[in-house]
Amino acid sequence: MIPMLETRDLAAVYGGNRALAIPHLAVAAGELVGVVGANGAGKSTLVNSLLGWSRGRPRISGEVTLAGEALSHLPSFERVRKGLLLIPEGKLVFATMSVEDNLLAVGGQLLGDRRRAYALDDIYDLFPGLKERRGHLGAQLSGGERQMLGIARALRLGPRALLLDEPSIGLAPRLVATVLATVKQLAADGLAVLLVEQNVRAAIEVVDRLVLIERGSIVAQGPAGAMRDDPRIAEAYLGAHAT
Amino acid sequence: MNLAQQLINGIVLGHAYALIAIGWTVLLGVARLVNFGHGQMYMLGAFVTWYTVSRLGLPYLVAVPAAMLAGVAVGYVMQRVMLQLTLKQDLVSIMIVTLGFGYVLNGAAALVFGSTGQILETPLSRLDIYWGDLWLTWQDVALVVAAIVFFIVLKYVIDHTAVGRTARMVAEDPPLALLAGINVKKVYLGVFAFEGAAVALAAALVAPRTPILTSMGFDEVIVTFVVVVLGGIGSVLGSYFAGLALGLFTAFFGALVSPAYTTAAAFLVMIAMLVLRPGGFAAAPGSR
Repeated sequence: MIPMLETRDLAAVYGGNRALAIPHLAVAAGELVGVVGANGAGKSTLVNSLLGWSRGRPRISGEVTLAGEALSHLPSFERVRKGLLLIPEGKLVFATMSVEDNLLAVGGQLLGDRRRAYALDDIYDLFPGLKERRGHLGAQLSGGERQMLGIARALRLGPRALLLDEPSIGLAPRLVATVLATVKQLAADGLAVLLVEQNVRAAIEVVDRLVLIERGSIVAQGPAGAMRDDPRIAEAYLGAHAT
Repeated sequence: MNLAQQLINGIVLGHAYALIAIGWTVLLGVARLVNFGHGQMYMLGAFVTWYTVSRLGLPYLVAVPAAMLAGVAVGYVMQRVMLQLTLKQDLVSIMIVTLGFGYVLNGAAALVFGSTGQILETPLSRLDIYWGDLWLTWQDVALVVAAIVFFIVLKYVIDHTAVGRTARMVAEDPPLALLAGINVKKVYLGVFAFEGAAVALAAALVAPRTPILTSMGFDEVIVTFVVVVLGGIGSVLGSYFAGLALGLFTAFFGALVSPAYTTAAAFLVMIAMLVLRPGGFAAAPGSR
């Protein structure tokens, strides 16, 4: 089976320092893969590099394919149009635009390959809270609403694969559960999802597979159930003591 | 002094200022860029209009789009040349490059159109309207109407269309716009082309009011600067009202005090405004 999203020899270098070196990583359609690791381990660099995107200026190399199609030679916006969507950490909505304008500004494109670009009504069905706030500016939204709007805007673009960078950061526990349940549902609907999370305890409950990154490299990966017992995960992130 | 006549002069002048400045307003609002060749692009628009009407003998209505096309071409080429500077937001280099472009345009225009002054006559500029003691031309009326229509259409496009939303996304956060599938480079090129078209339209409408010279451009860029700053950087409505206010100020100050000190007085107002209300007329964040 061809993975929906696959990368080989992905590397990112900041000012001469190698921040990322991933020999191989693949996510199948309908699979939810969690990426965990300490602060500065390279989790965000991984998802940003898959899209060739960054607010800094790293040198990125390596192969990225989406549904078997090579994307590495394409600029970020072209990869987005192919269906590789990133919901970044931090600023993820246009603060001076209304919720509805944030959503209307994208989507509506003719998408080939039977990709589903969510209509505005579909978005409001999925996120009723956004419908209520449709006239409010992005700047007026709470952290959870911004996260929802970031995901919603990605859905408007007909994603095949979603890259989420720390969607639970700064959210109340109840909202974390809601956001992760939504992500789980999107994967169940057939999207390939790569979820970067610091909240390992919450992430491990929803992901199919877990990837542990340290100093820019994958040091362990496996099914979520098995990784729960991995001492590197259990000790460092779940607060358990290895026996 | 006839106050009503000064009011008419101020309104016409104000719409001229607003129209001359609008390209730069959008440029600054969307691309966070400046163009110190703006005045020379105005000059080029005036001369292309003049050449099309006077030398080629074509109708004024053909000359206006011809001037706008020339503006689009110059704007596109200019941005193409300095695209890397734009992406890096290297404002100092962009200032110098655009200033240099302005002088190149001056020289090229003198070579092509000659360095003697010309009068751009249009069918409308020869038609006077008298109303008691009051006087204006149909060119003035056309200028005011065109400016109002242009601003209404532009405001609508920015607020309610896909093109406007795309421009606003790039204006707020170019990296985030990339993640929404927007080709930011293309938007930058488009904005510069729009600026070229807008200033050429302004030239085709405003230049018939005064003699034109290939060496002109400095006054226009200064007026633009004042309007853009007073209006609140990037604000379309702010620019309209700032242009109008500056026009009325110029007309009344010129009549009541002295036309010789109008520019100096306008800059004093601008300095005061920058100190007291740094955001300009449209000080609210995100206002357009």
